[in-house]
Amino acid sequence: MKKRLTVNDLRLAIYDLRFAPVYAFILFLAIMITGCGQTAVSESEREFAGALVNSPQPVPDFTLTSADGPVSLSDFAGKYVFLYFGYTFCPDVCPGTLSNLAAVRQELGEDGDNMQVIMISVDPERDTPEVLEKYVAHFDPTFLGITGSKEEIDAAGEPLGIFYEIHEGSAASGYLVDHTARAFLIDPEGNARVAYPHDAPRDGIVADLKWFLAQE
Amino acid sequence: MKRVSLLVLLLLIVSLAACASSDSAESGEMVIENVQANMAMPSDTGSVWVKITNNTGQDDALIGAEMAGCGAIELHNMFMENDVMIMREVEGGQIPIPAGETVELKQGGLHIMCIGKEAPLELGSSIDVALNFTNAGTMTVSATVVEPGTMNMDGDSGGMKMDN
Ligand SMILES: [Cu+2]
Repeated sequence: MKKRLTVNDLRLAIYDLRFAPVYAFILFLAIMITGCGQTAVSESEREFAGALVNSPQPVPDFTLTSADGPVSLSDFAGKYVFLYFGYTFCPDVCPGTLSNLAAVRQELGEDGDNMQVIMISVDPERDTPEVLEKYVAHFDPTFLGITGSKEEIDAAGEPLGIFYEIHEGSAASGYLVDHTARAFLIDPEGNARVAYPHDAPRDGIVADLKWFLAQE
Repeated sequence: MKRVSLLVLLLLIVSLAACASSDSAESGEMVIENVQANMAMPSDTGSVWVKITNNTGQDDALIGAEMAGCGAIELHNMFMENDVMIMREVEGGQIPIPAGETVELKQGGLHIMCIGKEAPLELGSSIDVALNFTNAGTMTVSATVVEPGTMNMDGDSGGMKMDN
């Protein structure tokens, strides 16, 4: 079962959801043949509220800027991190995701202290760290909003297959940014585990997190 | 049997009452329901969702909207392509509302886009929105300020369904 996967494999695996049943089947076969552990079986059989990242591997560390200074992914080792790429100009998918994650944290009660939500803005021109701080705090005071140069954003986004592209808008909107709308759940060891679509049900995310916490 | 018809009648009354209490307005037979303003976050934008049913007998189109506190208002669509969220102004700047059909502007899709929002609005408060149609003219309705998210995915506010 232990096989070294490149970052690119991870990206393809989580990006191309059409193949999810294929991955599940391969995993199933592998488990049948090797007869390996209990945890692997339940994880492959469990229905998550997002796309399960098969063969999770560490997300490379990155550093971006918040209103209070630099923030690195490695600062949150030991926590479940929800990483979301978006921008504040986005009227519903981005705030909807943050509002869902805020509800998840509330629902988890004390367990909510084990999670950290980080929004990375792919629109550093409009979303300064100060703009982001005010924005994410509206949803939950513990949420972090960070951004940086294109190179810094790409260093964080590329390993997760994040796509974003500026598209010319009207005189009023100026420009719009097309972007991957998924929230990634990164486990306490820094491995990407689940990629949630923007409309993932709140209670499903809560159940997933409870399940992960129970596995510890 | 009697009990069943009584129950049906009761349900009918309840659903009619629910309709009357929702923010709807009728002009001719253009029915406007579920008007929601996603305007609570501290950002430069916001959106308005609304369900429009065209019972007028002739094709119409939503060509614009007006509300206070927005620098500009555009009609937008949003869609997903390979997990990528794409938002664009609608073609021709208008949303067709064909005769006999219901068009829903809702989260993750068509919306009235507020650009240059002056200030966030308080959750649960109301704001007037004027909808401009080619044929039906201008209809002013009251929108409830809501928070986006999966709780509101079906266009209901606070888990209260108004459309059934
Ligand atoms: Cu828009």
